Amino acid sequence: MDNKLKIAILLGIMCLFLSAGIAIQIKTVSNSSTTVGKTLVENELRDSVLRWKQKYENAYETLETKEDELNELRDNVSSKDNNYSGLSNRLYNYNLLLGNTEVIGKGLIITLEDGDSSIIKGFATDYIVHDGDILEIVNSLKNAGAEAISVNGQRIINNTGITCAGNVILINGEKIGAPFVIRAIGAPNSLYSGVKIPGGYLELVEKGGVQVKIEQVDKETIVIPKYEGVYKFKYASIYE
Amino acid sequence: MIYLAIILGCLLGAFLGSLAPVISYTYSSYLSIAIVAALDTVFGGIASVIKGNFDLKIFLSGFFGNALLSIGLTYLGEKLNVDIYLAAIVVFVGRMFTNLAIIRRYYIDKWVSIIEKRKSKKAN
Repeated sequence: MDNKLKIAILLGIMCLFLSAGIAIQIKTVSNSSTTVGKTLVENELRDSVLRWKQKYENAYETLETKEDELNELRDNVSSKDNNYSGLSNRLYNYNLLLGNTEVIGKGLIITLEDGDSSIIKGFATDYIVHDGDILEIVNSLKNAGAEAISVNGQRIINNTGITCAGNVILINGEKIGAPFVIRAIGAPNSLYSGVKIPGGYLELVEKGGVQVKIEQVDKETIVIPKYEGVYKFKYASIYE
Repeated sequence: MIYLAIILGCLLGAFLGSLAPVISYTYSSYLSIAIVAALDTVFGGIASVIKGNFDLKIFLSGFFGNALLSIGLTYLGEKLNVDIYLAAIVVFVGRMFTNLAIIRRYYIDKWVSIIEKRKSKKAN
């Protein structure tokens, strides 16, 4: 009997280790991607990608909490001291100008999608959305008085570049692919007529075969995200 | 009693495992082969209890020895670019089926004998 008890306890402990291992393994596998890596190097690469992703997310979270703290401190200071309340207003305006804040308002949503190559006859390059098309449309929106513009969630700021990068487009250094959704905040009517001029660029693109959809939003529902990068002046300084 | 201990151990282990941190993906292949080895040893232990030739030393050394050996073989296989762990899995799973067959036969025999006893009682 004593021997049997010993065996039972031992088997129980073994099973404890075993099922703990199984639970850890299941958790690990479900956390990783489902495709099975074949080599050690591949697994290590996947590992480091996951680690960096997590690090980035953590860093971004701390950044956001710090920004909130900063804003709170600013509010505190400006509410206590009259001298600073004007400064706080100016800060708000400058941030709005620089695109450092998320903004909401009425305006225009333009969606550009590559055309169907089986239907359209003509030049193959004409029914693909190019970086130049986006650039022209953003330009005409600016011309029509748009106050904030984003392309696929990338805020267009004063030094944003829109360049070609193979089958994607680089905006703010981020890769962006079709379909392109251009959101602009401004007077909806003037934005609409700004891009829809007869003989304008949008008409040209549409004739080429690109699928264009324009939505005029008269309610204040368009949300444009803030610029996520950092402004840095390395070479320029104020001339006095 | 043995099964009670096993179920208790499994539940506790699963609970502890769900609390434990996730291990690196690189080492998960080693852990998986160790799990298979340990499973094999546990089934072997149950079978030997049934057969009546359970030996504590052999059981313990089998549990850790098999797990470590299979981990070592997996590591070697990865260095040589040969999937040696497949051989370990074939051996372990094959033995698992043998042990399961022993356990199954034992309980079916027991069951059949119980039914026959009842029948003979009724006949009396």
